[in-house]
Amino acid sequence: MYLLLLQARNGGIKIKHFHQFKMMLSAQLKLTLREKQAWFWGIFFPVILMVIFMVIFSGNSDEEFQSEIAIVDPNPNPASEMLFTQISGLPVFDVKTGTPVSREKAEEWVKGQEVDAAIILPESADASSVLLIVNKEDEQGAAVQAVSGILDKFVQQANLFAAGAEPSFELQYKSVSSGSNELDYTDFLLTGMIALSIAQGGMFGMVDLVEMRRKGLIKRLRMTPANMGIFGLSDMVMRLLFSIIQIILLSLIGVLIFGANLYISPISLVVVFLMGALSFNALGYFFSSFSKTTEAYMGVANIVSFLMMFLSGVFFPVETMPEWLQPVSNVLPLTYFADGLRESMVYETSVISGTLWFGIGVMVIWGTITFILGSWLYKRKAIVADR
Amino acid sequence: MTVLEVRNLQKSFGTIRAVQDISFSVNTGEVFTIIGPNGAGKTTTLEMIEGLVSPDDGEIHFGDLSWSKNAVAIKKKIGVQPQSSAMFDLLTPEENLNLFASFYDHARPTDDILEIINLTDHRKNQVKKLSGGQRQRLAIGLALISDPEIIFLDEPTTGLDPQARRNIWDIILHLKQLGKTTILTTHYMEEAEKLSDRVCIVDQGNIITLDSPSALIEKLTNEREIRLSFLDGENAAEEADHFSRNLESVARTEREGTSLKVWAVKPEDTLLDLFKFNKEKAYQVEQVSIREMSLEDVFIAFTGKEWRD
Repeated sequence: MYLLLLQARNGGIKIKHFHQFKMMLSAQLKLTLREKQAWFWGIFFPVILMVIFMVIFSGNSDEEFQSEIAIVDPNPNPASEMLFTQISGLPVFDVKTGTPVSREKAEEWVKGQEVDAAIILPESADASSVLLIVNKEDEQGAAVQAVSGILDKFVQQANLFAAGAEPSFELQYKSVSSGSNELDYTDFLLTGMIALSIAQGGMFGMVDLVEMRRKGLIKRLRMTPANMGIFGLSDMVMRLLFSIIQIILLSLIGVLIFGANLYISPISLVVVFLMGALSFNALGYFFSSFSKTTEAYMGVANIVSFLMMFLSGVFFPVETMPEWLQPVSNVLPLTYFADGLRESMVYETSVISGTLWFGIGVMVIWGTITFILGSWLYKRKAIVADR
Repeated sequence: MTVLEVRNLQKSFGTIRAVQDISFSVNTGEVFTIIGPNGAGKTTTLEMIEGLVSPDDGEIHFGDLSWSKNAVAIKKKIGVQPQSSAMFDLLTPEENLNLFASFYDHARPTDDILEIINLTDHRKNQVKKLSGGQRQRLAIGLALISDPEIIFLDEPTTGLDPQARRNIWDIILHLKQLGKTTILTTHYMEEAEKLSDRVCIVDQGNIITLDSPSALIEKLTNEREIRLSFLDGENAAEEADHFSRNLESVARTEREGTSLKVWAVKPEDTLLDLFKFNKEKAYQVEQVSIREMSLEDVFIAFTGKEWRD
């Protein structure tokens, strides 16, 4: 990218350089296509990571919790029949066989873990206890806890009803999201993963530069009249093309397989994408400026990307993190890149938006500072400063 | 005609004075070799001339052109093969050459270059699959793509097997036939002797001597080394040693077991005398050889140091 700046200083790209650009871009494309590592880390890895997270955290989110239970009505009477109708009417419970069974049968099912619990209804209209039988092994399990909680609430309501009292308080539950469109976890994760993979592409991708320098290729190119600005430009165009493939592929998987909902604002997306991709490339460029070996570079890139991955609201919202950590998230560029992509891909936020530009601003500041530092370090190390 | 002139080049890296004071000029069409042990300052000298390292002091002129004023013009005039084989490993030789060709206004056709460096059969294989010698030839090919007047080859045969080295020599001799000027560095004396029109021996950042290989050997001495190996034991060798020391043309001798080395100004006369002596004594000689002095001897004579590859 420093090459781009050099180019700008030299007064723009001349038409006679177009052939050079074409050749360089074609070489860059071939290099990327033939580099197995690029495919693995740039395409395969983000896809796998996203699929794993989506399967674990959002695979069942659309389905309601349901538990299979058995109901025993030892001595059918109007009260127990009414309770049976009500309990089996609860959508969370799936009553095995749909009718009351014998206590022996129910206990056998519980022992065999064929049902999560068995509910023994009161033996007479006067008896008031409802017995819940669970398997000892499952006692602390989520399903049993839920069944017990639900049943407890149900019994309380029944008590109140029996006493003829109206509950004074009730809990109402409603989820809200900040935008006009609902953001569910699939959308959240999809946009986060796109941000992460583009960011990683930038931060890890500049390893080529370290390798080229180590092998003396940069020196070799400087011995020719090759325009290094065009070389930098072709490199950048190739990276952007690669990132576009990432966006399309991840979006397709997210939408087609996991049912993500995207409402894209194209202009916002292009702006956020370009600024984000350039900023993270600048970050990678900065790492490359002080790394002598590819191992050193990968070490630095790994640490930074790992920290950002978990502190920038890629997998979980920043708000769910401990409060003392949130200020850290609020300065990291990936936080704003992920947010920006959410704004432009899910909320359809128009490009004239203060929040959007605040985020872009933070990314650009990161990009500019790391780019200037990187260029300075490169220049300081270059044997011949300006040629 | 002089194509390159270098005057009083100096370069230090920290406290190490890599190049202390180097001056020479190179003529059109010659193979000019800079030879010296590792760390002598060969590569630094070459990199200053190639414009990669700026000298602390001194001047470099390509005819009327200098790096400070005519960098692009010089880059079009020279072709450089650096020491490290810097090329794109995931591209094929053909793709590498085509890419480099796009940097120049008037590049030579890729097919011609592949022919010269004898890689036509491997044009479609990725560079990472090529052997060391093939890579080195491609590196030379990349230096030739711009059809340069002056070609810099920095240790092109280091680390190659004898056959691969000979292939590179053929390329260098071919370039000479094409009338190109070649500036070569090597630490193989044999190579310098075979290929060069003129040799410049450097050690510790200074030029020790500069001339044609034959003149250098001549300048050093007109002694030749005669080696004899006796079948009749150490006594015979010792007597022959004693005898030859009294001969007028003999400068010095050296004996080790049954073998004897005699340095003589007129080796033919000395040999005749030695054969007469052996005939009289009825000593049998197993091996006789006369060794020409080599650049290696020149180096040892000038620096007092053993040559080390």
